[in-house]
Order: sequence, then structure tokens, then C-alpha cells
Amino acid sequence: MAELLEVDNVVAGYGRGPAILNGTTLHVRSGQIQCVIGPNGAGKSTLMKAIAGLLPLRSGEIRLKGERLSGLRPDQILHKGICFVPQERALFPKMTVRENLRMGGFILEDRGTLARRIDTVLEAFPILRERAGQRAGTLSGGQQQMLTMARTLIVEPELVMLDEPSLGLAPQIVEQMYDIVHMLRQRGMTVLLVEQNAVVGLSNADWGSVLDLGQTLFEGPAAEILSDPRIQELYLGKSTEAA
Amino acid sequence: MSLVDIIQIVILGLALGGVYALMASGLTLIFGVMRIVNLAHPIMIITGAYISYWLFRLYGIDPIVSMPIAAIVMFCIGIIVYKLIFKREAASAKYSEMTVLLTVAVALCFDGLLGAMFSNTHRITSPSYATQAFFFGDLYIPKGQLYAGIISLALIGGLVAFLHFTRFGYAIRATTQNRDAAQLMGVNVGRVSIITFGIGIGLAGAAGALVSFVFSFFPAKHWEWIAILMSLVVLGGMGKLAGAVLGALTLAVVAAFVGTYAGATWSTLTFFLALFVILLVRPQGLLGDRLEEM
Repeated sequence: MAELLEVDNVVAGYGRGPAILNGTTLHVRSGQIQCVIGPNGAGKSTLMKAIAGLLPLRSGEIRLKGERLSGLRPDQILHKGICFVPQERALFPKMTVRENLRMGGFILEDRGTLARRIDTVLEAFPILRERAGQRAGTLSGGQQQMLTMARTLIVEPELVMLDEPSLGLAPQIVEQMYDIVHMLRQRGMTVLLVEQNAVVGLSNADWGSVLDLGQTLFEGPAAEILSDPRIQELYLGKSTEAA
Repeated sequence: MSLVDIIQIVILGLALGGVYALMASGLTLIFGVMRIVNLAHPIMIITGAYISYWLFRLYGIDPIVSMPIAAIVMFCIGIIVYKLIFKREAASAKYSEMTVLLTVAVALCFDGLLGAMFSNTHRITSPSYATQAFFFGDLYIPKGQLYAGIISLALIGGLVAFLHFTRFGYAIRATTQNRDAAQLMGVNVGRVSIITFGIGIGLAGAAGALVSFVFSFFPAKHWEWIAILMSLVVLGGMGKLAGAVLGALTLAVVAAFVGTYAGATWSTLTFFLALFVILLVRPQGLLGDRLEEM
């Protein structure tokens, strides 16, 4: 499978602060669900923000299908085909569910296409259809997360980046979120996700990468990482001695 | 006070309130999208008023007709001011606080420029309707105030429609509600900011054209209007267009009562007092959200 996204030796940080990403390298192959795990402060969210263009790179390069993304604004990066769903639910609280979906397709010039895709999404998510006229700020946490993820279906980007889709959600809702992740992939999108909850993330992914201190320590098929004793001890909270 | 008196005062207050609402709409739009507390807004209104005044004096163009010209000229001035002054500071963490000082500086510059060019003489545009009135039995409505009020509310209606039914309007609302998310949805928030600032100042220009035949004006008058406009916007909730309209209509009517029964000199005090009381009692305004969201 071809490389869709290449992150090469990226160094980045906030403002004049220390670098959070210290030469991070990550490759994402087309058609996969790839999960990045790592402890708190490993730079997982920072990596996504850097890819999305919310954070300038101090050095290194990010390429989508061989094309450099460095220096582009977030809206330009979306045009290139990367859609980012950040951790803090990036909704417009005073807009209705339908208006939020419409904003999700902001870059679509053709109104007909936009209307069709909104209908498709509302069909796929009956809860959202019921609440289409309701303000997004009044939805429950799970519904809001569902809306932010469903919204990515409208632009049909090549790569969807999800920052901790399970954060703060009850287990059965987390399952629903991962159903959406699989749905995204089925529709031809590649998914790169970051998870604090490594077990949930990896068991839903094809490929896993372990990030710590802003560097990729280890990567491989998700199932292998899940069962690797070093990883279990370090990041999955299971001590090998106790086992 | 008789019922007729009360109705009369309410009518006069509402007509003025419509104009106040238009004066405040640009201010609240700019704050909503960019967090710029634009204390230079009133001087922009006065600049617009001068444009209409001179077009009337020199070419006899009716101020209602020259309103689009004033709006477009002020739109361009707004874009230039934004690019020169506010764009480079947008990344600062103390942006809103800094804009208070920056906009006062802009206001001083324009105040000085206008004073130097046109002197501090009181001016008023005097189309024939400015001194006429409609009479309904015991009631009367000055034509100038009525026209200005109606046009103002129509322009605000147009602005609301623009914000809700156009793609660019969606982008403006999205940027107001969640700047980062708007960016992630593909909105070029830098461009939205510049154009929204231009639209806000353009609205000030349009308001100026109407103000030019409703109130007499001179450059330094804007200091008085700052307090008036801030009180309207703060009463409604900063950044809320509907709030600005509600605040303007309410305070204008109250001020009309105060002016009638306590004397015209006291009517301006209404706005200052209201500003104090609102900030003490309900700082987020009538339609505002929790304060931390601002």
C-alpha cells in the first residue's frame, strides 16, 4: 500500500516554549486505521495539530502523497484532503446540528452536493436527524462527538485525524464512536487516530505507533503492539511481574 | 403624564433607538468576530456623517442616497486600518486589551484629522424632511428620525439575513463561535476577520449618513457616543447583534423619558448610569452567555 502521509523529522512546539515534537517521524498508509498511543505529554495531540497546520514546524517536513504541506494554513490543508477532529469538540454551539453539518462542508462549492451529503449523513445517524434543528451546544457529550465525526463524512477527505475520540465517553458510546471510525474507512478514508486509551485504540486499528517525548519509539501491526510485553508494561498499565 | 405623552415619547425613543442600533451593530459585529473593542467606532460614524454632509453641501446629494457611498468609503478605510494596525497584533494573547488602547489611538488620530480639515463647528445635513414631521392626531413623528430609524432596522435585517443565508455569513458566524473549529472547517479566518472589520466600519459609515441629519455633529462628539454605544452593546451582551438592537431600543426609550421629564441634559446620563448598573448587576448583558465565554 502506498504512503499517504509522511511526517519526517518534525520539530514543533508552542510559541517560544520547548519543542514538544523532537524529530517525530510517522508514516500513514492509505486505507488503514492507524492508532498513535503514548503517555500523557508524549506529543500525540501536538503531532495532529502540526499536521493540521495549527502549529508551525520548526524543522522537518510533512507530505501528503508526496506534496509538502509545511507553511500551509489549516483551511488550505483541508483542501488538500486532511480533516482534523480535535479533542475539544470543535462544534459551533449556537448553530443547529444541520448548520454544523453545513459548516462541515464549507469547502464544497456545489450546494447540491452539500445538501445530498448532509442528507446521507442524517440518514446514517438517526439521532442526529431527530435533532437536526437543535442547537449543537445542547447535545450530550456523546452526541456532540458523534456530530464532529459524522461531519467529516461530508467533505470525504482522504485522511481523517481523530484526537482521542473516546475521551470522556461511556464505554458503550465509545463503541459507537469506533463504529463510525470503521464506517469512515469503509467509505474509502484513511484514519489516523490518537488514543490515551491504548487498548480501545489499538484493538480497533490496523497499525499502531508508540510515541514518547516527541519521538516514535516503536511501530507495527496493532495486534502485535497490543501483545508486546514491553508496550504492555509501559503504556497499557500492566506490569509484567504481576502477570 | 397622559397616555398620549407616553406613546409620543416611546415613538420618538424607538425611532432614535433604530439609529442607535445601527450605530452599535458594527461595533458588536467586530467584537463578536475579532474580540476588538472598537472605541474608534463612533469617530468612524462621524467620518461617515462628514462624507454625507459634504456630498449634500457640495453636490446636493440626499444623505439617504449618499449612504451607500459613505458605507463603501468607510468599508475601504476599515480594511486599511485593519491591515495597518490590527492584523499584526492578532496573535497576541492580550489582543482584546490591546485593541482598547489601539482603537483609542485611532480615534484620536481621526478626531484630530477631521478637526483640522473641517473645524469643530457643529454641522447637520439639512434635507427638507429633516425639519418636517408626520402628524397623527395629537401624535407626531419627525420624518428624519422615522426614515433614519426604518432604514437602520432594514439594514440590520439585511445584515442578519446575510449572516444566516450566505456562505460568507456562515463563515462569519462560525468564526465568532469557535475560531479554531472554523479554521478546521476550511474557513480562512484571517480573510474573514479583515472583511468583517470592513463590514463593521462600513455599517458605521451608513449609520453616519443617517446620523448626519438626525443629530448635529462635530469631530469631538464621538467621546460622548462611545459611552452611549458601549452601554447599548453591553446591555444586550457584547458581540450579540440581537442584543445590540434590544439594548438600543430599550435605552433610547428610557433616555427619551428621562429627557422629557428631567430635562434634555440628563438624557445622556441614562446611558452612563445604565453602563454602571449593567456591569455591576449583569455584566454579560441581557442576551449574553456566561462571562468566561467572552
